[in-house]
Amino acid sequence: MLTLASMKMFMRQREAILWTLLFPLLVVILFGFVRFNGVGSIGLGVVNEAGATGADLLARIKSVRTFEVTEGTRESEMGELAKGERDLVLLIPAEYAPATSAEMTAYGDLEAKPQVTQLGGLVLQRVLDESAFAGAPGLRRTALSTLPFKSRNLTYMDFLLPGILSMSIMQMGIFGVAFGFVSLKKRGILRRLWVTPIRPNDFIIAQVAMRLLVLLLQMTIMVGVGILFLNLHFIGNIALIYLMGILGAVVFLGFGFSLAGISKSEDQVAPLANIITLPMLALSGIFFSRSNLPGFVRSITSVLPLTYLADGLRSVAIDGATLAQVTPQILGLVLWGVVSCALAVRLFRWE
Amino acid sequence: MTESRNIVLDVQDLVKRYGAITAVDGVSFSVRAREIFGILGPNGAGKTTTLECIETLRPVDAGTILLNGLNVRTQSQEVKRIIGVQLQSSSFFDKLSLAELLVLFGEMYGRSVDPLALLDEVELRDKSRAQVVQLSGGQKQRFSIAAALVNDPVVIFLDEPTTGLDPQARRHLWGVIKRIRSEGKTIVITTHYMDEAEELCDRVAIMDAGKIIAMAPPQEMITTLLAGGFRKEKVERLASLEDVFLSLTGHTIRDE
Ligand SMILES: Nc1ncnc2c1ncn2[C@@H]1O[C@H](COP(=O)(O)OP(=O)(O)OP(=O)(O)O)[C@@H](O)[C@H]1O
Ligand SMILES: [Mg+2]
Repeated sequence: MLTLASMKMFMRQREAILWTLLFPLLVVILFGFVRFNGVGSIGLGVVNEAGATGADLLARIKSVRTFEVTEGTRESEMGELAKGERDLVLLIPAEYAPATSAEMTAYGDLEAKPQVTQLGGLVLQRVLDESAFAGAPGLRRTALSTLPFKSRNLTYMDFLLPGILSMSIMQMGIFGVAFGFVSLKKRGILRRLWVTPIRPNDFIIAQVAMRLLVLLLQMTIMVGVGILFLNLHFIGNIALIYLMGILGAVVFLGFGFSLAGISKSEDQVAPLANIITLPMLALSGIFFSRSNLPGFVRSITSVLPLTYLADGLRSVAIDGATLAQVTPQILGLVLWGVVSCALAVRLFRWE
Repeated sequence: MTESRNIVLDVQDLVKRYGAITAVDGVSFSVRAREIFGILGPNGAGKTTTLECIETLRPVDAGTILLNGLNVRTQSQEVKRIIGVQLQSSSFFDKLSLAELLVLFGEMYGRSVDPLALLDEVELRDKSRAQVVQLSGGQKQRFSIAAALVNDPVVIFLDEPTTGLDPQARRHLWGVIKRIRSEGKTIVITTHYMDEAEELCDRVAIMDAGKIIAMAPPQEMITTLLAGGFRKEKVERLASLEDVFLSLTGHTIRDE
């Protein structure tokens, strides 16, 4: 009953809640209009089934600046192509022999990315020709045929929306709680509450419960609006999305309560909260893929809580990952949750 | 004693320390039902701390506090249900109207309240849709008294309710406080205004440096002072309570 009163207290902050719900949606829509489409390099997946025989060709392909080459098995590379992570996949068949093979095949989504696919095909053909004529001129030319492949054609929106969702979970936990509590504390509102029969624990539970509820609502709205209006290719399990969202929220609520504990005023909260959140916003793959980061930075950032959350939400929503497939992310979040809640218990103060 | 049955609040040897500072140093007093009991004293005397100990806001270092027979140290939850509190400095959630705030506070006690009736009590009915930030100082204080009344408390604690108010607003508030008492409530009030204590309080305790140095009805204090040979230099009244206060606590300004 008292918890209920505390909940109502939270729900009465209509404007704040509305803002919490609308802001991430606005960010998504804004960024959705800005398209990052410049043809920088062509993502080429190479499936080398010819082993050492194909090595020379592979080296030549890699030396071409236009290509950003990834090697993999037929299965994995075609999978990446389907997701839109590759522009083109070249198959070097097991029976390939330089200057004798007549044909080779590349796959690309000619419908969705006609220029990139065709351009990539042309460049590949030239590399093949060079390779064939490098030995002795007059040998047979390997003709490349580019076969159409229907990818799911994921867009920036598919990348962005789960990222923004993660971001808003982090902001709600850290900024929402830390600013909210410090202001209640500083203005003496909490003291006034403690002379009523409201119990501090009830109050915290209500605060957390309400934020989680708002979060569930938010995830539903974001995914819903994404599917209906923003062409989001959502194929995930919504229950798993909720689970990851709540885990993420627990992590960041813990940090929020810790900050509220060590800060006496809003002025102290702001820089601390920014120090925690800004690097993660930049490095956790919210707006841009982490694959462009230098290797060692990438490995550091892969253990950030926001990375676990964003990666997890993204694989579930867009790749339809199952619980088993996002277990690493879930474990990561659980570990961070233990850390942040332990910190909160140690640092949180009412006075 | 028939009197002891009427005692609503009984404080015995209350001690409260903040680190090295002993803010309340062995304070004892009791307040009778339907009494307006005043606590006076210079800044830093320990008035607010005393009230906060009674209000369950601060852990007590020594002494006992009984409120309506309940032990404040062990039965704080029950005590909270029967007290109404106006803190020296506190504000309310923003974005809510006065009426909504009162309903919300009622819910914390599991009560459904009639906000307009409560606002009538403090003459703020016409502001029921306003927010706290839109109120004047006097209106704010009256509103926090209304908020202290939501649970129909036995005892109401008012910590400097008239500080910062102009003479008219103060007199207005006196009227409100007297009416609440006439409805059967017991009131403990702190103030720095001697005329206010003289006008409102049935009895006052004067605190200094954490101790009660005098406790009696205002008139009695004045009589005692006069009997001791005190005379005002310029006499238009023989003495006011302000004289009692200053002679007991000194004329110098204290640092908090
Ligand atoms: N939270 C606190 N921590 C440490 N010391 C405190 C705290 N609150 C009050 N004190 C100290 O306790 C003493 C009594 O303070 P208190 O607020 O009870 O005085 P007061 O009589 O209410 O004064 P005022 O008239 O200014 O309101 C002061 O010396 C004050 O500095
Ligand atoms: Mg005080």
